[in-house]
Amino acid sequence: VKFGVVQFPGSCDHRDALDAARRVGDAQLLWHGDHSLDGIDAVIVPGGFSYGDYLRVGAIARFSPLMESVIAFAGDGGPVLGICNGFQVLCEAHLLPGALLPNTSLRFVCRQVDIEVVRDSDWSQAGVTLSIPVKHTTGRYFAPDLDPAQVVFRYANGQNPNGSQNDIAGVRNEAGNVVGLMPHPEHAVDPLTGSADGLHLFESVLRERVG
Amino acid sequence: VENVHVGRLVELDVEDESQLDAMCQKLLANPLIEDYEIVK
Repeated sequence: VKFGVVQFPGSCDHRDALDAARRVGDAQLLWHGDHSLDGIDAVIVPGGFSYGDYLRVGAIARFSPLMESVIAFAGDGGPVLGICNGFQVLCEAHLLPGALLPNTSLRFVCRQVDIEVVRDSDWSQAGVTLSIPVKHTTGRYFAPDLDPAQVVFRYANGQNPNGSQNDIAGVRNEAGNVVGLMPHPEHAVDPLTGSADGLHLFESVLRERVG
Repeated sequence: VENVHVGRLVELDVEDESQLDAMCQKLLANPLIEDYEIVK
């Protein structure tokens, strides 16, 4: 599997995403101004502050040339993962339902949380709990008309860091190839930093593609 | 204090006003989480 990691001006987690993806396959950067996805098998839209997050988180990035190709790739069933700011971008691009609002605390949160994987997708296999860090200010998921079957990740009981509805940490599209979440699996791929549970997402794509 | 409003003001100089609403819907606001008002 060859992963493509999108880099916008203001992205900051693309290096860790590359490193995480390379633990299970090949990976390369994809520049926001390009149109070509260069033959990759899966797309990761990483965290950070795309285009400075001016106007609204994720709002401008969705109009980048590369995102047009990512939207087409997702429409053809290609696996796409949005992490944190990448999740916000995928919501703004309407690849995923809902939007992200400021944390109820109105403060930046950075901590390790347990998230329950409650639904299969290209990026998940239900039935496990993962220890993964969150770090965000605008992570309160809001989607009034969400189909509960699209919830993939939930914060474990009592660990919701941002006030998201029904403890939702991440969701999928109906087809299950597009997934977004606020926690950062790419920061949890080595026991050296406390947890390698984040590999679950990247390995799930591997299983999906390789069979 | 009866009302407080904190929001974002976007000023645009345009010759053709016909696309203002579409601009709000597509980019300037996210209708799921934001209200907007066009003042001319």
